[in-house]
Amino acid sequence: MVSLPFWNPVICIIAFAILTAIACLFTSRGQKKYKKGTAQTEVFLSGEEPPAVEQRHIKSHNIYWGFFKTLKEYYDPTVRAHTGIVNDFIIWFIAIAALTAVILLIASLT
Amino acid sequence: MGFNSFKRALWAYHINTGSCNGCDIEILATLTPRYDVERFGIVLVGSPRHADVLLVTGPVARQMASRVKRVYEQVPDPKMVIVVGNCGIEGDVFHESYNLVGPVDQIIPVDVYVPGCPPRPEAIIEAVVKAWVKLEKAEQGVR
Repeated sequence: MVSLPFWNPVICIIAFAILTAIACLFTSRGQKKYKKGTAQTEVFLSGEEPPAVEQRHIKSHNIYWGFFKTLKEYYDPTVRAHTGIVNDFIIWFIAIAALTAVILLIASLT
Repeated sequence: MGFNSFKRALWAYHINTGSCNGCDIEILATLTPRYDVERFGIVLVGSPRHADVLLVTGPVARQMASRVKRVYEQVPDPKMVIVVGNCGIEGDVFHESYNLVGPVDQIIPVDVYVPGCPPRPEAIIEAVVKAWVKLEKAEQGVR
């Protein structure tokens, strides 16, 4: 039988209160001379203008970078195939439909 | 020399606005064991938001003008600006270049000038101490 670890919500609340007090202590000892609403409280990007707040997010492409990197051999040809041209998609559709028809025909004969 | 208002370590942020790197190397030399300014509490930091002093090198290339201005605005008050090297003071060998908008004091206010091409580390240290004294006075003014 697996024994459960010790759990007491009161201890969690006390720990949370202590950590909050420590965080408040650090915050209160920080630099107070920053002028709010000026560049002094803006994000520092090596002197570049910081993007608008709604633009500050990690793009999903960045999150899945490792995933795409690992499956590069698979994604590269499929991305190349997606040209965005309708004619290409129609050709793919006809080719796949023809291949499916051939497979079904062979399957029905055997 | 006793400081009454500015009791903590002096943090400096270094920005290169188009320098040949000669002055930057001399700034780094002040941190080497021979001069070791960190023993006086003078530290180079990675963000202007943490800095008290802005060390500027270079004659301010056109692309750097808005950047140096933004970096200056990001330093909390009171702040000091030190221009290191002849280029930042008057353009030096680049003064006729089509691509310069400097010298530095035409872009941001400057407190201490360190002439030289490049200046000796001792001169840079003396300039930082001068800025520190000025900062002490400014700090008293803020209180």
